[in-house]
Amino acid sequence: MTVEQIKEVLPFLIPIIVAEVILLAVTLRHILTHENYKRGNRILWIVVTLVGMQFWGPILYFVFGKEDE
Amino acid sequence: MRQLTTFIQKEFMEVCRNNKLMICTIVFFLLGIMNPAIAKLTPWLFEKLSSSYEDMGIILTDVKVNALTSWEQFYKNLPIGMVVFVLMFSSIVASELERGTLINILTKGMARWKILASKGILLLVMWTGCYFLTYGITYVYNDIYWDNAIGKNLFFSALCMYLLGVWLISLILLMSALANHGTGVALGTSVVFLICYLISVIPNVEKYLPTKLMECSQIPFGRGTPDDFTYAIVIIILWSLMDVMIGILVFNKKNI
Amino acid sequence: MNILTLNQVSKSFGSKQVVKNLSFEVPEHIVYGFIGKNGAGKTTTMKMILGLVKMDEGEIKVNGSKVTFGQNTTNQYIGYLPDVPEYYGYMTPREYLKLCGRITGMEEKEIQKKSDELLELVGLSQEKRRIKGFSRGMKQRLGIAQALLNSPKLLICDEPTSALDPVGRKEILEVLSKVKEHTTVIFSTHILSDVERICDEVAFLHEGSIVMKGTLAEVKSLRKGTTVEVECAGSDETDRVLSLLPGGKRVSETSIIYEKTNQKRMNEMMKVLAEHDVKIQRIEMLEPTLEDLFVEVVSK
Repeated sequence: MTVEQIKEVLPFLIPIIVAEVILLAVTLRHILTHENYKRGNRILWIVVTLVGMQFWGPILYFVFGKEDE
Repeated sequence: MRQLTTFIQKEFMEVCRNNKLMICTIVFFLLGIMNPAIAKLTPWLFEKLSSSYEDMGIILTDVKVNALTSWEQFYKNLPIGMVVFVLMFSSIVASELERGTLINILTKGMARWKILASKGILLLVMWTGCYFLTYGITYVYNDIYWDNAIGKNLFFSALCMYLLGVWLISLILLMSALANHGTGVALGTSVVFLICYLISVIPNVEKYLPTKLMECSQIPFGRGTPDDFTYAIVIIILWSLMDVMIGILVFNKKNI
Repeated sequence: MNILTLNQVSKSFGSKQVVKNLSFEVPEHIVYGFIGKNGAGKTTTMKMILGLVKMDEGEIKVNGSKVTFGQNTTNQYIGYLPDVPEYYGYMTPREYLKLCGRITGMEEKEIQKKSDELLELVGLSQEKRRIKGFSRGMKQRLGIAQALLNSPKLLICDEPTSALDPVGRKEILEVLSKVKEHTTVIFSTHILSDVERICDEVAFLHEGSIVMKGTLAEVKSLRKGTTVEVECAGSDETDRVLSLLPGGKRVSETSIIYEKTNQKRMNEMMKVLAEHDVKIQRIEMLEPTLEDLFVEVVSK
């Protein structure tokens, strides 16, 4: 990829990266600040969040892992 | 009226404080930006591919990318958004039933239909916001990089998919009155959708079914006109209203 | 006037009948104890009073109006504290009370005033945290505040003390007897000492029907004075008493229990003991405990 091409995709890349990072940060923070989960344990959810494609990891955690409040 | 506004307020506080609002926003934001991004990257991917194919003696012609490539992605990615939405909100009533949080509210004299109505309104607002966030982002990017004018009836076809989401919400509400667990609600909603999808192989029935609206993704390409969808639109609206009404009647007589 | 009347109420879940022809009345301004083992039908009865569970037969009246299942208008007279009260954990106690107050149709000012008052009463006025961090006891206390918010004529508490430690229990019981002036309290329990501490009237529920009811004194008098305990000054004296008054059961080195006696018999016993100049430390007609009553009733 040339510099020109990279410059061209930056308007897409930057928002995507920012959104992904926020999502990841919020999810990891939630996992680490909570002791109990509906299912699974802390290690499992951290792994799921990190390896989950795009946004699937965080969503799986918030749907199936997060304890009801 | 005050009961209704109070409970709607409570529902919004809930999605704000349990992160669901933020997650939905991010996911639908990503879904929106992904469409033009993939369209933009397509020529580059082809270039990569064709150079490796050239070694094998196959020549790929250059691909032309325009706004329609991005709109095609939009309709391909939307079902993902719908799955996420149903997954996130299928237990919106069930989780309260499972935990018993509604008992206090009901013994305070809350009218039962207002509970279902508040949740319906929240889901509708969330879906509208999320859906048009995705639509808006795709539209704006497309307009900057290419030209949206080549797509026919863009907004109408987007509206069809939006209605499909509204129908799913009404199914969530109905299933919430019937089932006691979130999984039951998600399963029930998916089964109804699947049945519609399967029945739609019957040629004469197809145009009356809500799943017909999935074909609206073809309108921008000039395949099919809005008129083809009249029956499906009328039916999906009536069906949704019926779901909510039956849901309320069942919920009124539910042992909580 | 009776604040609550149940008339021939029955309820089955499937083939299992959990409540059978239940009838009782609760007068105003008392604490009414609803006693029974786990599974006796207490919670089901309460949920029927609240219109949350549909009754199969019978009629329930709250403050003179009939209870209907589903949309229940009589709930405006009732405050309810579930056995395990559940809240929206993302709210603070004050926010939760505001939600409840608005739903029940109170003025904003009144909600504010009542919230302050009740949070003070249950000792949560300094609590700024969200409810999800609360202990069982705190949730139970918030439950009482929530139940009393709309100044109900009838406060129904389902096992309010069962899951609490002694301190928490004492606090809850104090609050309940405090509110008696303004409202009628019905509370279910299987902890009998709680009943003895605060109840005016009681009903024993066993397998879905009431096996005994009345004021605390009435219920106790059903078995009043049937047991006499004699405590002697020493082991030898105990032997003497046993030979003078046969039929007793020696329960320790120095004490003897005489069951199935009465006042007259006790006086005769004292006369005999006085004539023979036996050295007695104590002679007492034992008060029956609710525990004994309960066991007796349930094992019938």
